[in-house]
Amino acid sequence: MASFKLDRRTFLKGLGGAAVALPALEIMLDSHGSLAGPGLPAPQRYLVCFGGQSLGGDGDTLANDYVPNQIGKGYDLKSALAPLGAAGVADEISVVSGLRIPTSYENGGMIPAGGRSDDFHITSLSPLLSGVRSGTQAVNGVTSDQIVAAQIGATTFPSLVYRVQAGWYLSVAAPYGRDLLSYKDGGPGNSPIPIPATVSPKAAFDSLFYNFSPPTDPGLAKQKDFAWRERKSVVDLVKTRAEHLVSRLGGADKLRIQRHLDEIRDLEKRISALPPVAKGACVQPGDPGMDPTVGGDQGTDGNGANTYDTNLGYSGEDLRAPVFCDLMHMAFACDLTRVGSLMFTMAQSHMNMFALTQQPCDLHEVGHGGVPGPNKTLEVSKAIAWHMKHFAYLIKKLRDTPDGTGSLLDSCAIVFLHEGGHGFDPSSGEMYSTHSTENMACLVAGRAGGMKPGQHVVATGMHPASALITAMNAVGVKTNTLGEVSGNIPGLLVA
Amino acid sequence: MSDRLERRWSTAALLLFAGVSASGCVVGNLDGEDSVDAVHARQAVESGARRLTRVEYDNTLRDLLGDNSRSGFAELPEDVNDPFDNNYKTQLPSPSLIEAFEKLAQEAALRALADPAIHAKIIPCTPMGPADEACLRKFITTFGRRALRRSLAEDEIQGYLALQAYAVEGASFDIGVELVLRAMLQDVEFLYRVEVGTPVAGAPGTFKLDDHEMAMRLSYFLWGTTPSDALLDLADAGSLSTPADVRSAAVTMMSDPNARERVNRFHALWLSFHQLPHPPALTSELRAETAALINRVVFDEPQDYFDLFTFNETFLTDDLADHYGLPKPGSTTGAWVPYGSSGRKGILSHGSVLSAGTKFADTSPTQRGKFVRNRLLCQEIPPPPANVKADAPPGGVATGCKIDKYKEHAQAGSCKGCHSQMDPIGFGLEAYDSGGVFRSTEIGKPECAISGDGELTGVGTFNGPAGLADRLIESGELERCVVTQVYRFAMGRRETTADKSALDDLGAHFKNDKHAFDQLMIELVSTDAFGFRKQED
Repeated sequence: MASFKLDRRTFLKGLGGAAVALPALEIMLDSHGSLAGPGLPAPQRYLVCFGGQSLGGDGDTLANDYVPNQIGKGYDLKSALAPLGAAGVADEISVVSGLRIPTSYENGGMIPAGGRSDDFHITSLSPLLSGVRSGTQAVNGVTSDQIVAAQIGATTFPSLVYRVQAGWYLSVAAPYGRDLLSYKDGGPGNSPIPIPATVSPKAAFDSLFYNFSPPTDPGLAKQKDFAWRERKSVVDLVKTRAEHLVSRLGGADKLRIQRHLDEIRDLEKRISALPPVAKGACVQPGDPGMDPTVGGDQGTDGNGANTYDTNLGYSGEDLRAPVFCDLMHMAFACDLTRVGSLMFTMAQSHMNMFALTQQPCDLHEVGHGGVPGPNKTLEVSKAIAWHMKHFAYLIKKLRDTPDGTGSLLDSCAIVFLHEGGHGFDPSSGEMYSTHSTENMACLVAGRAGGMKPGQHVVATGMHPASALITAMNAVGVKTNTLGEVSGNIPGLLVA
Repeated sequence: MSDRLERRWSTAALLLFAGVSASGCVVGNLDGEDSVDAVHARQAVESGARRLTRVEYDNTLRDLLGDNSRSGFAELPEDVNDPFDNNYKTQLPSPSLIEAFEKLAQEAALRALADPAIHAKIIPCTPMGPADEACLRKFITTFGRRALRRSLAEDEIQGYLALQAYAVEGASFDIGVELVLRAMLQDVEFLYRVEVGTPVAGAPGTFKLDDHEMAMRLSYFLWGTTPSDALLDLADAGSLSTPADVRSAAVTMMSDPNARERVNRFHALWLSFHQLPHPPALTSELRAETAALINRVVFDEPQDYFDLFTFNETFLTDDLADHYGLPKPGSTTGAWVPYGSSGRKGILSHGSVLSAGTKFADTSPTQRGKFVRNRLLCQEIPPPPANVKADAPPGGVATGCKIDKYKEHAQAGSCKGCHSQMDPIGFGLEAYDSGGVFRSTEIGKPECAISGDGELTGVGTFNGPAGLADRLIESGELERCVVTQVYRFAMGRRETTADKSALDDLGAHFKNDKHAFDQLMIELVSTDAFGFRKQED
């Protein structure tokens, strides 16, 4: 059983809610949010996280400093995953290693099912997130989070889509889609519809907790109620007018404006939804205040060398990450959503690492030997560890939040994916490349559906999308496939 | 060929019909006016509802509310550059888009009301109190016409007036204004330019744009922003309903500063200098240099548009001259400097344009060649096969000269086909780095001399941007491609075979008008392709 700490606030709230004679635990059994109640099945939560970096550095024969030596429970922690140990959550997180995404190289030049073309960036995204081979779009199938969102029951928000890295940071055009983690069904010609992430922590906070517990001051409460009714009336008018417009349109425009109208309807539902009741673990987190300043594009000095010791290419991501973790955590605790995606860094991330790890280059260049010295893979691990510090913080928060008779983590299935692995790059022919989808690994956390956390599972030759299938199964989505990929990871789920 | 014949026929039919009409004979079931429309409608092409781009959104707030915050660019999900940012087929809504529009609307409304000058400008009356319905109605009618680009019907006005209940409850007239502003700035008809039109008799599935829809098309194409009051007045008066009306409005609009900004924006997206990989000071100087040339060739001394590619002077500050290694004009604000025998001429010599096509932290002959083929010749180069290495420099990284490695492309049988179309163009520009600075050897490799000899395969050899400009003009393809790119920008999508007739006409005019760029834009808005539409299925 997960460690179960009862913080003082939770305890006091429990006491305040009912006769003191009852044991505190029973009072809090049904305290997990607005929709779950006695007699309803406990909600299941699903989250996909992503880091835009492979596991090893170019030319380094060390594939990674990530995958434990030891298999099974109580695995050893390498430098990339050391923050999991530091936060005391390694026994909540399973490592799945031995994964790979097939390439055109091994398929006679044709992109195989669930595979990618040989050119690395950003072709791993489509098979990794949707199980569908790379191709015309950055992602060519519906992503697992949106499949889950459509099936396990939406609360106030069908899903939350957040991104920590605030900008692309290069002044040259970016490959479209490197910043997109979630795609839903229903785009033109069977293509999925990208869901751009919320990037502003402040906007994310306002959207989630706009109508949380009314202020105790009656004057403020009245003001807030007034603002809420104003907002509802404005959006209602916008909606009514859009409905009228749609009825006058035909052909593709009808569908186009209908899509926009559907989003307005969702917004209206969110505004009108009963505010979550602050009880149990559900409390409004502190307002994050103004967002950290968005840093400019990377610059070069007079000699063409990049200037890393400035705020260029960095927007305070170290401050943004914990806010998004807090919000995702509390959205689960308050049952504001049951599905999330959280992109820490973009695919092919050009975020300046200097402020985070003192590495004199951006995240992408860390993989390509941007840090002088022979230990390219250890440098990559250092960069991964920055991601892990925040991921561990989130897992710890979920674990330490009581929910029913256990912890919030008991109802979660969470997967952390990395953009690549390390090894053969069919594109360059290099054997020890960061542009590779050999030797991939990912993390799986949570106990939803009886998942067994805290182990190292070697799934030789399996596809990383299988980890998503496992997590989808854990939250009750009965499927054996994601896109073109089949099968879950044996050993993660209790049969 | 059949398109050509059909076009001749339609012109002939138009002339014929005029004659028949004069004799009072009615042909078939068409009355005179509709049949003329039906003839024009032969060139109608499909159009769809177009969402404002981030830049258009910000321009629109600026012109409606004096709001210079550029908040849309900062907070809306970015547009897809194809290379233009306004391809409506790539626009899809999302929760973050809808929430951003809501937030931006509220913030813009509060900013406007907090500024006494704007407040006075947008509210055309002095309210007698929170419940002054006549005054709120006046605001709804005047601002609504500007925001939604048409007059509002009575039931629509009533819908907005209902928000006055909050003004009464909150005891402030401005609350009503704020809520109306918020609702209008989130309205689908504000965020999208929705076109319906009037069905054309005798041409099923074809619609003639109404005057207000035409005002929107004109304004967002020529100005990148919402129609002015004067343009809306023309629409109200029914004075945008014939090609002659539209042409006359467009001629006036082209003399507005917004038209310069829009023409510059077109070039920035087309030639990819809207984002530049340089420090801010250099970036703004490079932009100013290019804008000066565009303004001079298109507006100030209108002449053959190809002068943009062959101009023998450029606009430099001392700093920028220093950057290029050209003679300083003795000015910190900029002056025209002759290129002389520097081997440069025209826009292709600018650091702004030469910034395109970098890869692996240096110029890429392949990417530059692809850029020239895609953007200036409108030729599509197929992407490399799925099993080809394209994200590492060719030939390893350590030794040898860059050009020799790129030349490996021409050795490999399967690569040769496409790369021989691209790389030799880049070789001819290789003596100019990604900031447009001349160099004679490769970065960090003094042993690797750069010859600068290139070839536009199929047209001829050249050395440097000046020579490339000559070869591009000789190719005959540049002329047609300019027309095509302007057309894509105007229509918000890529062309299909249905657009060929309009493109042929425009191409002929462009040639006859000695490639006058402003005339091309005016001619474009006067075409039937611009004045009529078909519904997208």
